[in-house]
This record gives sequence, structure tokens and C-alpha cells, in this order.
Amino acid sequence: MKKKKIKIMVSVLVLLLVGVSGVAYYLFNMPHRNIQEAKTDYSFSSSEIVNEYLADATIANEKYLEEEGDSKILAVTGKIFSIGKDQNNQKVILLKDTSEKAGVSCTFTEATNRSTKDLEIGQTVTIKGVIRSGAGFDADLDMYEDVIMEKCDVVNE
Amino acid sequence: MNKLSVVVIAITVFTLTAFKPYAGKLVSKDAHISFFSHTALEDITANNYKVVSTLDPTTGDVVYSVPMQSFEFEKALMQKHFNSKDFLNTKKFPKAKFTGKITNLDAVDFDKDGTYEVIVAGDLNIKEETKPLNEKATVKVEGDKVTLDSKMNVVLADYGVTFTKGKPSTNVAKEVAVTVKAVYQKE
Repeated sequence: MKKKKIKIMVSVLVLLLVGVSGVAYYLFNMPHRNIQEAKTDYSFSSSEIVNEYLADATIANEKYLEEEGDSKILAVTGKIFSIGKDQNNQKVILLKDTSEKAGVSCTFTEATNRSTKDLEIGQTVTIKGVIRSGAGFDADLDMYEDVIMEKCDVVNE
Repeated sequence: MNKLSVVVIAITVFTLTAFKPYAGKLVSKDAHISFFSHTALEDITANNYKVVSTLDPTTGDVVYSVPMQSFEFEKALMQKHFNSKDFLNTKKFPKAKFTGKITNLDAVDFDKDGTYEVIVAGDLNIKEETKPLNEKATVKVEGDKVTLDSKMNVVLADYGVTFTKGKPSTNVAKEVAVTVKAVYQKE
């Protein structure tokens, strides 16, 4: 009787240990969120999101940024103002109306870079990505900063 | 129109054009900042390719605006920790900023290709803390391209980032090495 009890206790303990280390292992190696496969939280034009930030950045940050960095996923439609690339060879497309003070800077990834291949300046496109920071005038830079989106790809209707 | 007014207009036009300040501030919208933390247990690297920077060749003013949520880590969990309330609190403080000046601007000729050693002195603001920073940097001029490279050590506790318990306290260095590279294009 006593032996059986011990046996049960040991098995429970072992199972618990396996469970806990399994969860810990999963958390430690948890993959990054796949932005393109995740649901889009908001869809709008580049000027809409820019103007929302210029009107009140605090309210906009509260709405779009998340505490642990998994911020809102946006699909932004706008006119291509410029096409470039960053120091990591990722394509960067700025969606901005010529009449606007700031735009939405969209950084692609190694995997999505090729989606920008046929894009041209002046063309209207919809780009999906995760927001990293908002637009606003910075007195030290003495210029307007764009909304920043990363992990971007072109949305094909 | 009499002679005098012609002379006055000529002088005015000349003065305005001749002494118009050189508006050639250099802008880089995709500067790169990375940091590296080394402990016996773990090496951690994070990269940020969305830093906005300006460099004014006439005054030596240098500004970096850093979107904090753009730091990317190899492990998703680390990135979550970095952004969380307990550490960088990036929802409340989405940007860090450095404002400074090249103190030996005479050492740089922005019109001549070359590599120049400079000192950049200024203030680094992360969360609610601002601390002075004084670092060596390299300015490289190649045609229309100007590159500013710098390396510095940042003590996390100076900016209210402290780890007292758990894994971070043993696996994250107290002082991290920060590397900055901005490529500016002359207009």
C-alpha cells in the first residue's frame, strides 16, 4: 500500500517536472509572431494614421502600441513616395501624399523584399505590417518623423 | 524707378543670397543601432534598422531618434521582456533620443573625401532618464555619402533598467556595448 503511494507520488512529480520544463522550453524558444499570417487589426489610408498621430500622439500610442511590443497590425493604403533599402538590405517604402507632412515608412523582410520588385513611385498600394512607432514633429531633428511599420508585405486584392 | 532704389534692391538681393545659411543638414532615416550584452551564461544581440538621425555639417549637431519597439532579438521572449513595463516600457516611452554635438568639428572637411576621428558629446535620454554621453566616433566622407560610426558602453542602471531577480539578473550584462552606424546622403 505504502509502496503504491510512493510510486504514484513519484510519477506525479516526474510528470509535473516534464510539464514545467516543457512549458519553459517552449517559452524560451517561442517563435516570433508571424505578422503576415496574423489578423489585420486596422485598415486605413496613410494620411488617416498620420493625422491621427499628429492630432494626439499619446492617444494614438495607447491605441496602437502594445506593452510587450506585439503592437497592432495595420494595412495601410497610400501613394509610394520613395523606394529604398536599409543597412540590412531590407526594402523600405515610404507611403506619403505629397501634401502630407509625414508618411508611413514600411520596412520589408528578406522573405518579402521581392514583392516590391515591380512597384513604382507614385503608384497606390496597400501594405501590411506591424506598427513600431508613430508620426510627429521632432524639435531636435527639426523635421517630421514618419509612422514606422516593419515585417511588411504588399497586400494583393 | 530711380537709380537709388535699383542700387538698394541690388544690394538687398546680393546680401540675401550671399549670406543665406547653408541648409545642407544631413538626414538618415534608416540608421542602424545594435547592442550586445555578454555574460558567462549568454550572449544577447539586438538590432534596430529604423533609427532617424540628422547631422548638421555647419554646427556639428547630431541627433538620433530611436523607435524602441524596432529592436529585434533572436528570441521572441527576450523581445517581449525588453519591451515590457519592467524593463524599457516601450508603450509608454516609444522613443529614445540622443542629442549632441561634434566637439572638434574643425577636424572634419565635409567637402573632401576622407575618414575623420571626432568626439561626440551630448545627452542620451531613455525612459525618463537623461545622462551625458561623450564618445569617440568616425566620420567618413565619400562623395555624396557621409557615414558616422560610433561605439559606446551604456550602463543600464543609469536609465532605470535594473534586474534584481530571475534569469535577466544573471543573463543580461550590467553594461551593454552599443554600436551606431548612420549613412547620410548629401542633397
